[in-house]
Amino acid sequence: MSRPEKPDTAEGWLLLRHTLAEQKWGLIAGVVIGLAWTAGKVAVPQLTKLGIDRGIEGNGSLALWAGLVVAAGVIAGLFTALRRWIAFRESRWSETRLRERIFAHLLTLHAGYHDRTATGQLMSRASSDLQQLQAFIVMLPLTLSNVAMILAVVVLLLTSQPLLAVVALAPLPLVNVLANRFSRRIHPAVLAVQAEQAQLATVVEETVSGIRVIKGFGAEKVQADKLRVEADDIRRVSMKAARIRSNFLPAIDLLPSIGLIAVLGMGGHRVIDGSMTVGDLVKFNAYITMLIWPLRNIGMTVALGQRAAVALMRVNEVLSTPSAIVDPPSPRHLPTGAQVGAVEFDAVRFGYESDHPLLDGFTVSIPAGHAVALVGATGSGKSTVVRLLTRFHDVADGAVRIDGVDVRDLPLQELRSAVGIVFEDTFLFHDTVRANIAFARPDADWATIERAARLAGAHDFVERLPEGYDTILGERGYSLSGGQRQRIAIARAIVSDPRVLVLDDATSAVDPSKEHEIRDAMATVMKGRTTIVIAHRPGTIALADTVVLLDGGRAAAVGTHEQLLATDERYRQVLAAWAVRDDVGDDEVPAGTPSQTHDDATGESARTRATVAADEGVV
Amino acid sequence: MWSQSAVSDEDRLGRGETVGVLRRAYDVARAQRRYIQLALGLVVMSTMITLAGPTLVRFAIDNGIKKGDDGALNGAVVAYVVIVLLGYGVGRLQFIAINRAGEGFLRDLRLLTFHRMQRQSMAFFDREKAGVLVSRMTADIESMAELIQFGLLQFVSAFLLLILASILLIVMSWQLALVAFLVMPFIFAASIRFQRMSNSAYLDVREKVGNNLSTLQEGITGVRVIQAYGQEGEYAKKFHRTNRSLFGSHMRSVRVSTWYFGLVEFAGIAATGLIIGLGGWLVHRGSVTLGTVTAFVLLLANLFDPVQQLSQLYNTMQSSAAALHKLFGIIDAVPDVNEVADPQPLPARGAIEVREVTFAYQGSARPALESVSITVGDGERLALVGPTGAGKSTLAKLMARLYDPTRSPDSGITGVVRFGGVDLRNASLAELRERIVVVPQEGFCFAGSIVENVRIARATATDAEVERALDSIGALERFRAFPEGLLTDVRERGSRLSAGERQLVALARAALVDPAVLVLDEATSNLDPGTEAEVERALERLMRGRSVIVVAHRLSTVRRADRIAVVDDGRLAELGTHDELVALGGRYAALADAWEKSQPTV
Repeated sequence: MSRPEKPDTAEGWLLLRHTLAEQKWGLIAGVVIGLAWTAGKVAVPQLTKLGIDRGIEGNGSLALWAGLVVAAGVIAGLFTALRRWIAFRESRWSETRLRERIFAHLLTLHAGYHDRTATGQLMSRASSDLQQLQAFIVMLPLTLSNVAMILAVVVLLLTSQPLLAVVALAPLPLVNVLANRFSRRIHPAVLAVQAEQAQLATVVEETVSGIRVIKGFGAEKVQADKLRVEADDIRRVSMKAARIRSNFLPAIDLLPSIGLIAVLGMGGHRVIDGSMTVGDLVKFNAYITMLIWPLRNIGMTVALGQRAAVALMRVNEVLSTPSAIVDPPSPRHLPTGAQVGAVEFDAVRFGYESDHPLLDGFTVSIPAGHAVALVGATGSGKSTVVRLLTRFHDVADGAVRIDGVDVRDLPLQELRSAVGIVFEDTFLFHDTVRANIAFARPDADWATIERAARLAGAHDFVERLPEGYDTILGERGYSLSGGQRQRIAIARAIVSDPRVLVLDDATSAVDPSKEHEIRDAMATVMKGRTTIVIAHRPGTIALADTVVLLDGGRAAAVGTHEQLLATDERYRQVLAAWAVRDDVGDDEVPAGTPSQTHDDATGESARTRATVAADEGVV
Repeated sequence: MWSQSAVSDEDRLGRGETVGVLRRAYDVARAQRRYIQLALGLVVMSTMITLAGPTLVRFAIDNGIKKGDDGALNGAVVAYVVIVLLGYGVGRLQFIAINRAGEGFLRDLRLLTFHRMQRQSMAFFDREKAGVLVSRMTADIESMAELIQFGLLQFVSAFLLLILASILLIVMSWQLALVAFLVMPFIFAASIRFQRMSNSAYLDVREKVGNNLSTLQEGITGVRVIQAYGQEGEYAKKFHRTNRSLFGSHMRSVRVSTWYFGLVEFAGIAATGLIIGLGGWLVHRGSVTLGTVTAFVLLLANLFDPVQQLSQLYNTMQSSAAALHKLFGIIDAVPDVNEVADPQPLPARGAIEVREVTFAYQGSARPALESVSITVGDGERLALVGPTGAGKSTLAKLMARLYDPTRSPDSGITGVVRFGGVDLRNASLAELRERIVVVPQEGFCFAGSIVENVRIARATATDAEVERALDSIGALERFRAFPEGLLTDVRERGSRLSAGERQLVALARAALVDPAVLVLDEATSNLDPGTEAEVERALERLMRGRSVIVVAHRLSTVRRADRIAVVDDGRLAELGTHDELVALGGRYAALADAWEKSQPTV
């Protein structure tokens, strides 16, 4: 995501502070444990020195000092474990809670936001960005105790042998500097390797998916040449990364050795002089070795912090985006009664880009219990009409009302349970058939679910699925045909028992020969319920009492299918354009069983209804 | 240093298999022999340098400090300086050498795998999932890159260090060495146990991460449905469950490593304590020197690291071996459509003759086609129709030798497909692809310019020839009008082009080859009405003067064919002209009737 303005990291850090503040006690415990670890670790070289000087060289008790070293080992071991555990626990916990926050927030964000934002981007906010953050948070308590250790060691060494300490410790800050610089240099190199790997993956991917073309024309060599270029590129950038490693890593290893040599040279002469003991020598040696990792770690933490800051900023951007569609401050409620479900679009203006209204002066009113077919060319705004009804978007001007109440005055929950949508592209969840049907009412009883499935014409095929109603659906689950998916979606809408039902091109994903099955289900569900059906096939249009032609952002013509066919040139054009697309001789047509009879039956009955009801229809 | 790798039980190879895989890997790496030898030599040097430090300290204490000999001490210091500088140089060279060898190996492995993969027949690509093939070539090879960058070097040096250090310890003092050897098996056992536990913990985490991401993705892509039914709260709860379960897995995996790291830390320090205690006692008895005790204390750290590394690396090795094993699966696959050693030349034109052909996809018991015979005359247009899965596409592919006929289980006959009287199996693949061209259902485009995309049909074609091909199907003007004309990059999968334009590119490729026979698989999905007509016209121009076999989905296409073959259940059910078959009143008649009726009644 490239952003022109300088990102505001301050807000990101604020988010981190709030998140960590909620884990105050865990983090404090982490710090205390870290300090205990520091004490245990720092004690060891000091005790080793005393063991050598008093136990071996002097007349002290050898067993005592050896025992104390082992005891320090117990403390160091115990707190190494605890320190690690609590650091990971706290960091994973932050990550977990933030991910839940992001997810919950995403679910409430308006449809417009989701239209604009790629799924992959949101996914990486909640996964890789949070991982970056976790990698940094885990370092916080660890780094704190590392710093404590460095300070303790420096103080101990300076107080025992000031000059030697200065000489021996002098190269160590460079370890930190180099580690930090290395982190910064290697990061882009690693990214470059990944970028080249991605390019190679692209070649492989297109070769595999385009293998018919390649085989068909014997173009294997062309692709092999492309791959060679990419493979060579990977090798080249990988070697670049290797060279960076070779520039830094041996140097980082070299630096502490300088300190060790200084200890041996300078310290050795002092021992000979008698101003220092052999124990001191070993102690210095051990302390310097002990400081290498903490110093390298601090360098790493700084680099991780920089990456975490960017991740935080991106996460914060999502969390601080307010939803454009929220509950009204003083909500009204839908009237109850026998005849409910009247829908009114009153001079609606709306456009995805504000200066380009897609709907302008769109006025249609649908009496309770009536069915309207919405017909229009591609991009005429049919689906948009539906999206305005459920407040996926808000109108720019005019109003949408259900039973006289502006949808913007209704609590979202009430509005959305009043409107049931069967979407054009059926989305089923990775869950059982039962749970998918009961999606709108997870507490629905078995009878309700089965009734809905029967009404939607889904019961029979569901019974035949391997696990019946317990069959898992969704992307990774059992795959149903387009028509079966639609019927599950219709059953889902039935369970929600909405005042207003919307069927958004519910048959488009279904091949024409199977359309009649869906149409049957639709006709059943529509009975006595206000329905808006977006359609372009005559058979589906015939299900409605009235047809509204949506053209030029308004209701260009209203009437029955036959009326419009007879009188409206534009209506004929729109249907003809769709018909060209539908000229699909279908593979699945079972030879010898013309599927049209069912269609005709449904079409006929619906058409009869349409003629009767046309007079009271749409105004 | 490197990210954790794990191998699931079903992927884990047996010992024999692992050795076999590694031996074959070395064959591939043979080209990098020089660098491998250099790297090995450098590793030996750097290991000895690592051990030299404590040895020098011991010498300095015993011969310099304890005896008050400044000269000996200075000598040790100078030697130390030399050793450290040498170590630095060796370290740098080592990185370069090992990476040269490793990256060279990976490059060769990539090229080899890709080459072998492309050699496979269509049947192979039908069988293997595209995603799996791609991940073999990418993720599997990349996972090995980590091993090569860090692992191999460490593996060898850890191994050497362990052996050399052990020898050194024994030489210095066998009594103190006993302490070290007492602790070492303990760490070794703990490491192995840790690896096993962390392997399964990691696999668990990986699975939970996958689940969690799926729920996340489902929630985001299904957000409209969730909102439409007001189920935000319910769904957030569902996500909580997978998310918390992921947290639980993370914590289990942390617990596994927690006790291990604590234990190793304790063992290292306890060993130091023991060395001081026992060493001091031995010093008092005069059987070891103080320098030796010091050297032991310093060396112990060098001894425990490699034990830990080795057990960790063992795991990495196993997962790499598993990845390599899968790659060799591709490399070793024997292509089932091969060229004969001495191909027969094909005539410029001729009839396609399918004789008694049976074909079964690998792994399927039922043949997709059974003893089908049909002849398509030179210049004839044949439409293949029938239900999905009836075998019409298979028949078309056999006519272009994307597959070879298989033996019929019933009659025992292996059929034959001939062009101009020559068995396709006896022709050279190159010549065959010039005579018979398959235009697939969807126009597939590669990243690159339009010219490059057309030229894929004939790599040697000049720009002028490509333009002529585009012109011959009437598509030249359309592409010339693009901002960068024919050099416009169509991007990955031709995403810059419309479906119709991609189809035009596919037709231009066929035109560039100028074959005698066209095999068309008609698209089932629709194009936008604008380009639809243009593609139709281009197709019509392309078909002119050629034999055409078309897998038809549209009535309009079928009506334009000279003859129609109805394929049903793997057999040729009906064959004749439209009128003949309608008059016959069989399957085609019913199909044509259904087609007519599904035309919208506008």
